[in-house]
Amino acid sequence: MPSELDRTYHFIITSWAERGDPPHFTDIARAFGVSPDAGRRRLHDLMAVGLPNWLFPGTDLIASFAPFHALPSSYRITVDGRTGWYAQCGFESISASFAFPGRTIAIETTCLDCGEPLRIAVREGQIESEDPRGIVGYVDVPTREWRANLPYT
Amino acid sequence: MNLFRSGDHARRWSGYTPATDAGIVTLAQLASIMGTPRHRDRYTGQYVSSFPGYGAPFFDNLKRVTANDPFWDPTPR
Repeated sequence: MPSELDRTYHFIITSWAERGDPPHFTDIARAFGVSPDAGRRRLHDLMAVGLPNWLFPGTDLIASFAPFHALPSSYRITVDGRTGWYAQCGFESISASFAFPGRTIAIETTCLDCGEPLRIAVREGQIESEDPRGIVGYVDVPTREWRANLPYT
Repeated sequence: MNLFRSGDHARRWSGYTPATDAGIVTLAQLASIMGTPRHRDRYTGQYVSSFPGYGAPFFDNLKRVTANDPFWDPTPR
């Protein structure tokens, strides 16, 4: 039986996948037939769980909710020709493909060293193509420090 | 966590630090790391309550993919 946290999480991540942007807490309230204050409480309760999701500091606005990011990051995602999604980071851009079952997503980014465009096609976690070949990922935060450095990681 | 045209490009980047060279992974490794239920099951409807069970498979796979490199070891020192 899904918990309230499960249902709130599911609403946020599925509506973001459908719409291309994060819901406001009043959207959460409307979805569950509760007051705006109760919607805000549900959002904060979920964010307190400690998953790789966070609010803009000092606000009730979702900044990032893995794999998605509310601000334009350098990881633009296109699905069936439609843009609007940004990934939380380069690694999460790959996992964003699971938000769109049965479809291929295009990840467009730029090499931070040379400024050349990079393009990756992914379908449910499987790399279909990369241009140019030989793309790598790099993280300079050791795994044991990820939790303490989520926005930077 | 960023993407680069190649390992050489990652190493030339102004933000690269040699002590973290093990943090460079191929796209195939990356797809494996990000392909466990911890990432795949976010849309199942019971993700939060299931989350405690995702850690072990994720970290086991992470260790396997990165050949047990200490950089990728989640154990606090």
